[in-house]
Order: sequence, then C-alpha cells, then structure tokens
Amino acid sequence: METFVIGLSIASILFMVALGLAIIYGTMNVINLAHGEMVMIGAYTTVLATKHLGFNIYLCLPLAFLVTATFGLIIERTVVRRLYGRLLDTLLATWGIALILQQLIRIHFGLGLFGVEIDGLGSDLQNVPVPAELQQAIQLFGANIPVYRAFVFVTALALGAITWLLMFRTRFGSQLRAVSVARNTAAACGINDKRVNMLAFAYGSGLAGIAGVLVSGFKTVSPDMGTPYVVDAFLVVVAGGVGHLLGTFASAGILGEVQSFVATWANDVYGRTVLFAVVIFILLFKPQGLFVTKSR
Amino acid sequence: MTYRTASIIAYIAFFAVVLALPLVLNSFWTNRVAIYLVYSICAIGISMSWGYAGILSLGQGLFFGMGAYMLAMSLTLAVPENNPVPQLMLLNMEPNAVRDLCCVTTGSFLWIPFRSVAVGMIAGIVVPCILAAAIGYVMFKRRTTGVYVSIITLAFAVIGQLLIINNQPLTGGFNGLADLALLEIGGFEFDPYGPSAYYAVALTLIAVILLARYMLTGRIGQVLKAIREDEARARYLGYDVENYKLFIFCVSAGVAGLAGMLFTVTSEFATPSLMATSLSISMVIWAATGGRASLLGACIGALIVNFVGSLASESATFQPVWPIILGLLFVVVVLFMPNGIAGIFKAFIDRPGKAERLGGAKLSGKTERPDKADLLVKSELSAREA
Repeated sequence: METFVIGLSIASILFMVALGLAIIYGTMNVINLAHGEMVMIGAYTTVLATKHLGFNIYLCLPLAFLVTATFGLIIERTVVRRLYGRLLDTLLATWGIALILQQLIRIHFGLGLFGVEIDGLGSDLQNVPVPAELQQAIQLFGANIPVYRAFVFVTALALGAITWLLMFRTRFGSQLRAVSVARNTAAACGINDKRVNMLAFAYGSGLAGIAGVLVSGFKTVSPDMGTPYVVDAFLVVVAGGVGHLLGTFASAGILGEVQSFVATWANDVYGRTVLFAVVIFILLFKPQGLFVTKSR
Repeated sequence: MTYRTASIIAYIAFFAVVLALPLVLNSFWTNRVAIYLVYSICAIGISMSWGYAGILSLGQGLFFGMGAYMLAMSLTLAVPENNPVPQLMLLNMEPNAVRDLCCVTTGSFLWIPFRSVAVGMIAGIVVPCILAAAIGYVMFKRRTTGVYVSIITLAFAVIGQLLIINNQPLTGGFNGLADLALLEIGGFEFDPYGPSAYYAVALTLIAVILLARYMLTGRIGQVLKAIREDEARARYLGYDVENYKLFIFCVSAGVAGLAGMLFTVTSEFATPSLMATSLSISMVIWAATGGRASLLGACIGALIVNFVGSLASESATFQPVWPIILGLLFVVVVLFMPNGIAGIFKAFIDRPGKAERLGGAKLSGKTERPDKADLLVKSELSAREA
C-alpha cells in the first residue's frame, strides 16, 4: 500500500511535467528539453519565496506558475518560434537553453561574477520547509500515508481537471486543439496560431513550474535536478500517445507505479531501468502510444 | 577554385596540422589535444549517422563508454597487483569467496577474456557494433524513425549508465576503472603524455576520415543521402532502407567504440560519466557546430568547441560563464548555421558573384545543379520529420 502511494506521487509529478510537455509537443511539434529546467526554476522559486518573502508552499504554487510561464514565453518568443517544423533542431536548441538556465542559477544570474550572492541560489543543494500539517501521516486501509504525498496527488488531479476544462470547455482550448490537428487549416479559419503556440508553451511551462514546487517539498533542490524529469516525462508522453490527455494521465500512472514497485522490490536503479525498458517496448510495438487507437 | 579542390586542400591542410602539432606542444597539451582528437572521432561517428543518413542518435555516449570500458578492463588486468583478481573486486567480494576471476563476485567471469589486451581491443569495437546491431535491428525493422530513434537511443544510454553505476563489484561503480596500465603493443608503450599516444590517435583519426569519406562518397553514401531526404521514396526505388540504416548505425557505433578505446589510452580511466546524456548530446553539438554533413567539419567542430572550452575553464572569470556560452552556441548554431562551419566554408568558396568576376556567370555550379547545402536546409525545413 505504501509502495502504491509512493508510486502515485511519482506518477503525479510525472503527470504534471508530462502534461506540459504533451501540450507543447502535441500542439507545435517541439521537443522542449528545457522543460526539466522549468521544474528546476519552479523549485528555486519556492526556495527564494520561502526564504526571502516568507511565502508558504501553497502561495508558491501560483507564483511558480507565473514565473515559469514567463520563462516559457520568453523562450518561445526568442528561440522556439524560429524552429517550427524542425523537430530535431528544437531538441538541440532547447538543450542549449537548458544549459544556460542551469548555469544562470549556479552563478546567481551573473551577479556571482561580481561577488554578489543571493541566498538560495548557487550550486549548493537547497531544502524547502514543508508546513507542519503536510508533514503528518494519515491512516488509511491500515497503511501510513504521508499527507504530503496525498497533497501532491490531489494537486495533480486538480491540475489535470483544470487542463481538461481549458482544453475542452474554452475558446482557447478549441483553438489549441484545432491548431494541433491541422495548423494551416486552423490558421486559414482565422485562428492566430502563433498566439496559440505562445500561450500553449507558456501554459505547459507553468505546469512544470508547479510540479517543481511540489518536488521541492520532498527532494533537495539543485541546478541540475531537472534533467531526469524531462527524459522521464518525454517517455510518458510518447508511451501514452501524443496529444491525448487521458493517455498521458494513464501512462504516467502506469509508469509511476512500475517504477515504484520495482524500486521497492529491487532498488531505484532497477526501477528506472525497468521503466525505460517498458517504454522502449511500448515505442517499438505501438509507436503511436498505448492509448491511441488510430493515427491521423 | 571549385569546392572540390578547396575541400581536398582543406583535408590535406588539416592532416598536416594534426601531424605537426606535437612538435610545438608540451606534454600537457599533447595529451589535451590527443583527447580532443578522440572527441573528433566521436563527432565523425555522429556525422556519419546523422549527417548522411538522418539518424540522430542521442546514445552515442553508450558506445563510446563501452569502448572505453572494454579496453580499460584489459588494462586493469594488466596491472600486476590486479592479478589474479582486480583490487576493486577484492574490496567488494563476499568474505569467503574464491579468489579467482571465475567467481569472486557475481558476473566476474565476464572479465576472463579481457586478460588478453588484444581481446579488449577487438571487443572495444565489436561489442558496441553488436549492441548497435541489436538495438538498430529492432528499431529499424519496426520502422521507428526520427525523434523516436533519438529518444530510444537516449533511453538505452541512460540504462547503460545506471547499470554500470549500480554494479559496483563488477564495474567499479561510480568511480569507474582507474589506475590502468599503459597500453603496450608488441613491447611498444603508448605514453598518454608523449607523442606515441598522440600519433596513435591522430593516425586513427586520419584513417577513419579517409575510410569514411571513401565509403560515403561512393554508392552507399548516395543511398544514405537518398534515405535521409525521403525514406519512402528510397524504399520505392527498391533500396533496402532498413539494412542501409542498420549498417551505418553499426559503423557509427563502432567508430564511437574505437574513440572510446583511444580515450582510455589517452586519459587512463573509464567512468560512467562517459555514458552521460550530456556527453552524448554534446557530441551531436560538436558535429552540428562543425557541419553535420561534413566529416572534416564535424571533426574541426569537436576540436574548436573542446579547445575553447578548456581555455575558458582555466580562467577564473570565464569558467563560470562557459556553460552559458556553450548553451548559446547550441542555440546560435541551430538557428543561424544549420550547416555549421563547413557550411560557411562552402558558402565562401561558392559565393555568388565570384563566377561573374571570373567571367563565367552562366557556368557557376549553383545554376546547374542544386547545392548540397541548400538541399540539406530544405530537407531540414520541411516538416516531413514531424
């Protein structure tokens, strides 16, 4: 049961990161390797806001969303916009951006060069205080469930629901879906596809930022923490089927649980190894993803 | 001057410079440059599979690292204290295990063939090739293409690295294999800080370039380019696309394995960091900076990026900024110079107006047949990869 809950929380984080990636990849066919850095920036926003502004972790959720969405917006406007249609090149360029962002954190946004150091930045590991009510554990079906893990899970569910509403119940959502199915047709119908791209990229980055806040509660924060997430999240996206909200949700669940159970049964390394092996098999035998019945 | 003449001159000049360098370098820099030349060989491997056949492997580090480990295992056993059983295994063995390579730790029998350095050297190329053949067979027969290939190879590299780190008693874990013997062939020792190892690397590099060029300017290269431009069309023309891709993927892995072995010779260690994602992606960037579809370009790209990188890391001011510069380089190369340095070189040789000045406007190569670089840009721009 504990294993299952840990799996759920791994899955929740994976889901939040993968959701943003799925929107970006599904809509504009861009592989954003800087997505993991959005998680990292979300986590650092939490570190800084709790240290300097006295924010608690709840207030950090919207703050981190705004911060990372702004970063996403800037990245889209400056670099990604010029690379539409060059899938493999986006992969390389965003990896470059990832390197830049990591190093900016390490050198205190360049202030470190002049001897100015901001508490909470730099190469060291950082920790975020978790409010007391989230540190407890509740008893459920005879098992100890850390409240924090449950909080992560609930937040992920809420974000999934919000994203679903956004995608299927708003004007922006229908524009987004139109662009991802047939960009030129959508543009010909009067949808400003550039604007949709920009907002989708910002929203996706913002989701990763929120994931970053939640990660900071149970993992140490460091400049290179984001890289593993982007690889895992991308695997979740392709395993679930690109552009399918439910597919991403289900594959994040499955992969999170697989990793958690194998990790408990053997160790972390085998957990990840099995995770990757599962995804490779899915990719090889069902390249459109598990939950896509027809390809377009 | 035609582009062909110019590139032949460029190749010859490059070879001459590479061969002459140890005459002017001290032993520290001889070693550094030898390592950069090893990276150049990696970049050539990338250029072969990515530049010519359009297969972007992000797991090249896996093959590089395997090559390095294969030779490092042999060179570990060549140290007298590591006989009959390497120290790292003695530290990790069960208290009453038999002190023999067959069974001192789980899986230690895998080391037995590496008692012979020759086996290590052959395995350094053959094992990456076999692994690439296995991965490639499954990938290409399932007609996995484009970005999925990149992600699958990346995932394999991550798994490889994790397994090596995790199997401490067998592989030395996170610290890898260090304290190696020097490579010795027929009584001749390759000193990593002397010209001997340097020339071993440099001559291998030249041989790899010449062989790759011979192969890729011929029929195979043309078919591979056709596959890169339009896989379905090549298939309908009757070419066995899968086998061609499998072939170049294996060759590229073999080249990476060869580079890995030379890395062990020049830097005297093998660690799991050689299989890191960041190194694999860096290799791609070296090739992209120099020119993905140019063997010499890829090679020069690797040299320049690494040389500037190590200059920067020696200065206290630039050291913290270097990763940012490197990141910007990724972005700038991808945005503004998709054909890298080689593309600029070609544009300079073929620059418009030159033919007019020479009095032969109509004969300019550009009007008669489309430029290779133009084709490449067009193919990159087409959303076909998507």
